[in-house]
Amino acid sequence: MNIIMLLAAILFVLMSSIGGKKGITSFLALFLNFGVIFFNIILMKDLKSIITITLIACLLISLINLFYINRLNHKTLSTFISVVITLAILISFIFIIEHQAMIQGFGEEEEDEISGFSLYVGIDFGKVAICTIIMGTIGAIIDISLSIASSMNELFVHSPLMSKKSLFQSGVKIGKDILGTTTNTLYFAFIGGYLTLIIWFKKLSYSFGDIINSKVFSSEVISILSGGIGVAIIIPITAWITTFILFRNKSESHSDLQS
Amino acid sequence: MPRFTVDLIRNHAMKRLWTRLSRKQILFYILGLLCLCLAITFTSHDAFLYKKPLAEVIKIKTVKTKQIDANHSKDALFSQKITAKMKNGKYKGQLIHLTNQYSQSGAYDQKYGEGNTLFVSIESHGHHKLGGTITGAKRDKPIVIIVGLFLFVLLAIGKRQGLYSIISLFINIVLLLVALNLFLDFQQSSLLLVGMGAVVLFTVISLLLVSGRQEKTYVAIIATLISTFVALLIAYAALKLTDSNGLHFESMQFVLIPPQEVFMAQILIGSLGAVMDLAITLTSSVYELYEKSETLSRKALMRSGREIGGDVMGAMTNILFFAYISGTIPIILLYLKNGYPLIDTFSLNLSLELVRALAGSIGIVLTIPITLYLSMLFIFRKEKRT
Repeated sequence: MNIIMLLAAILFVLMSSIGGKKGITSFLALFLNFGVIFFNIILMKDLKSIITITLIACLLISLINLFYINRLNHKTLSTFISVVITLAILISFIFIIEHQAMIQGFGEEEEDEISGFSLYVGIDFGKVAICTIIMGTIGAIIDISLSIASSMNELFVHSPLMSKKSLFQSGVKIGKDILGTTTNTLYFAFIGGYLTLIIWFKKLSYSFGDIINSKVFSSEVISILSGGIGVAIIIPITAWITTFILFRNKSESHSDLQS
Repeated sequence: MPRFTVDLIRNHAMKRLWTRLSRKQILFYILGLLCLCLAITFTSHDAFLYKKPLAEVIKIKTVKTKQIDANHSKDALFSQKITAKMKNGKYKGQLIHLTNQYSQSGAYDQKYGEGNTLFVSIESHGHHKLGGTITGAKRDKPIVIIVGLFLFVLLAIGKRQGLYSIISLFINIVLLLVALNLFLDFQQSSLLLVGMGAVVLFTVISLLLVSGRQEKTYVAIIATLISTFVALLIAYAALKLTDSNGLHFESMQFVLIPPQEVFMAQILIGSLGAVMDLAITLTSSVYELYEKSETLSRKALMRSGREIGGDVMGAMTNILFFAYISGTIPIILLYLKNGYPLIDTFSLNLSLELVRALAGSIGIVLTIPITLYLSMLFIFRKEKRT
């Protein structure tokens, strides 16, 4: 039996027995997400504008995770808008850093893996690097934004007399409370993946300068920290958007009552 | 720009910014930006710290040498004649002539521009003219920029929690390095055992930093440890049961020690962050609920906890999936472009990542009942006594 099948089956049983209907939906969403990544890669192979494709894929992923799992409502709508804005900021920033750091493609440490391949394949690996970083953080960005938006919504329902200012501040406070744990999730996921790299540096006795300036290390640092930055900047953005949407809705329903 | 965005920015940003910023905060922002600028300027002048020869590109002549059109992929090769000025060592100040080849795709080569600083190895030194080859680019400046920005953004937005996040990242990295050092010094020790020890320390330190010395923190610590180890056990059993069928250890990167062991350690550490996250979220909510209404029955509390757990479970597993799978995109593209069959490419390059993500997800889901059960145990044990 294939180990991936076995683990997937175990995961399905656990998710459906613990999360019920929502668990099954979440499990299916994982599949859909995987499908999006799959098609994203296939399209990247043949089309030129790979950043646009990746952005569309990210929007699709947000749609799946927001509207399929949680349905359309104020929370998911404001999360979606926040994710779009954050992605725009993050991508322009990563674009500059990637260009500066020259982290595209493969490092000399990876020579063994790519030997035997033709490297002149006509894909701009600089753009591929940007897409890789964006894809790595999208899960965390959606997660923290949705948590903030739903907590703010809950808060607003319980105390509808709250002022705009205090609602926004509560949103930021909620975000700050989960900032530490969400960034931890990202950090460990990345660090776990690069255990072997650290051992490699140690065993081959790289100097500090060698490590800092090596392509593999730089790209890893940039991935982790871009993720951290994305998770942080989406906090005030989500708090803004959610406050705005909730208040606009309130005034709309008020005018409905009056007319 | 839609009207509401404009309103939003005008109303919130401008007014808030000026009324809410205290003098202390303004000082913090100015000082922070100043430090960042200083650090960046420093990296432009730190060549003296390096033993390897460095040279700054001052003139470049680029010519296109070849057009490649094979396997349905068009690419072009370029050649650069570079004149650079030595920045350190005994040839400091002299000019060096270098050549560089790069392709449009840049998978394993690099286009350089004026102002780039490069590591070079000097091969010939004639009369006032040095010759050599490029061994790499200097990347410390962008690293400093991103580290600085990261610190600045996290502190500016997260304030105290941002600081804790940074400290936690820093401590965890140092701990990991110490653990790996220990492992490499004692060749007989197993990486998995060292990893386990590190995981216990990671959990205790990170959770204490995130939520302080409270009962719920202890509950979260115990729950995290049990969940990660159970998840590891399940992954191990699955590995043995299927005889690692479908797992391609040959695609693992940077392997210098037995891949199976590294893999188990990766599962253990990789899922730890997510499991901690969930455990502390759940204990916090359950304790909060209990404190708000002490009459809540054990059953009702359990139900609310499961509700919350079910809500976040999907998002957490997603974080792991994306973080793991995204890293394989470049190599998969390379395989596909070289004409490898689709299925082979994906199963070869994704198997390790998928198994890690799945094992981590199992850990996440298991965390829910384990944390809830432990929380109940602590909450209601206390009640019986009083």
